[in-house]
Amino acid sequence: MAGATIWKGYIHFGDTDVPVKLHTAVREERIQFHLLHRGDQVRLRQQMVCAYEKQPVPAEEQSKGFEVEEGKYIIVDPAELEQTAPESNRMIEVHEFVKTGQIDPMFLDRLYYLEPDIQGKEFHALVKTMEELDVAGICTWTMRKRSYFGALQARGKMLRLNTLRYADEVIPAGSLELQDVPLSEKELKIGSELIEKLTAPFEPQKFESEHQKKLQAMIDKKARGEKIAILAPRRLKPTESDKLLQALEASLKKAA
Amino acid sequence: MAVQGIWSGTVSFSLVAIPVRLVKAIEPGRISFRLLHGKDYSPLRRRMFCPEEETMVPPDEIIRGFEILPGQYVLMTDEELESVSPERSRTIEIVEFIDRKEVDPVYYDHPYYLVPSKGGEKAYQLLVEVMRRTNKAGLAKFVLAEREYLVAVTSRDGVLALTTLHYSEEILSGEDLSPRKEKIAAEDQSRIKKSIEHMIADFDPGKYADGRRKKLMDLLAAKVKERAPVEAPAVEEEAGEGPADLVAALEESMQKVKENR
Repeated sequence: MAGATIWKGYIHFGDTDVPVKLHTAVREERIQFHLLHRGDQVRLRQQMVCAYEKQPVPAEEQSKGFEVEEGKYIIVDPAELEQTAPESNRMIEVHEFVKTGQIDPMFLDRLYYLEPDIQGKEFHALVKTMEELDVAGICTWTMRKRSYFGALQARGKMLRLNTLRYADEVIPAGSLELQDVPLSEKELKIGSELIEKLTAPFEPQKFESEHQKKLQAMIDKKARGEKIAILAPRRLKPTESDKLLQALEASLKKAA
Repeated sequence: MAVQGIWSGTVSFSLVAIPVRLVKAIEPGRISFRLLHGKDYSPLRRRMFCPEEETMVPPDEIIRGFEILPGQYVLMTDEELESVSPERSRTIEIVEFIDRKEVDPVYYDHPYYLVPSKGGEKAYQLLVEVMRRTNKAGLAKFVLAEREYLVAVTSRDGVLALTTLHYSEEILSGEDLSPRKEKIAAEDQSRIKKSIEHMIADFDPGKYADGRRKKLMDLLAAKVKERAPVEAPAVEEEAGEGPADLVAALEESMQKVKENR
């Protein structure tokens, strides 16, 4: 099962147009808490408060400002902002195709499934060809007044559209400026051996959130008025640098 | 670069434990506007408000509640929440390693980075380097606030990245979308193949800038010439401002991400 149709458009590349419908591909269900006032258990709501007057400010007294330097703003009115919204034209325009392995997973954002709309003749030819060539289509489109950047991917006769993050949204790892620590070849060799020993096939279906069930059980218990035992989180003692080799050797022995 | 941590704890594999902090890897790059009070140009802050007492509620008077009947709640303190899975709330225990190429990208959700805390630098670097050499990812589950995440720890440009994964039960199969029997005309396929081969290039996300961002920058540049920026009154930072803890800060930022969608 896929989620409901959320948008319709067509994929365009070269001289080909392929009509498609977009469906959500991921559904998250989780236990939802509300924030309450501790004393009277009234459900709280968010309120915008003036930092200067310390008073709630109703929506009609709010304006939008772009901070040019600290504490200085350019006020922009909603009509002006509206003008910058991209125009919708229902076209998912493919600009180029890249080898699927080239797409950095850190760019992947939301996933949708595509379904052929009207007649699906070229849809299937496109999916099959993309799978054979092992390529993804890099595309842009406009949906609900926002421009998107994404990757079309074929997998098992299905076509997916993954929205991608813009390049300036991904913080480069280099900006963390981590120090280089020298490692011995022996540490690296034993470390690599250990990782190989601990490797298993990727079987995501064997992981489920047991936590949700445990949390629900705790809520039920509290609802019946029973006491909850407070358990301290487990904290591990860090492996000291001069004990690293020893810890790796012991781990390897344990894994064997 | 000093980065604010979202969470701190330990990442472990077998008998090795590395103290780390979780930091963000994504900075929403959209031009962001601040909400101001129209009258005095003072920035607005998001606060929790009690509609009954018509007052702002400080963080230490806020508690999570699960609604069992309309208007009736079971209260949960942070300590109780941490007690649900105490073995996972401060430890990211890698239970197994996998080949990165086996992971269907459908599972990837949100990426973060892990940075070593004091004393963990060497073991951290070892994990970075051996995962790079073997092209592996470590799988772990850990708990943040009320949620348990399945995560993949990977090596990226000398840093450990942590990406939350969707649970497989959250991924819809979508098999109802593709008919079992489809006819593909040979001429369609050869024409499409020719088109695609003509358009093959290298992945270069840097060249796709958001068009709207450019338009906004133009608008702002024009406005700043027209009229000088307004100035907000100075406000002293009060003690106890902002989110009560980092988990709350994370939730607030997640909320903002959702609002921006």
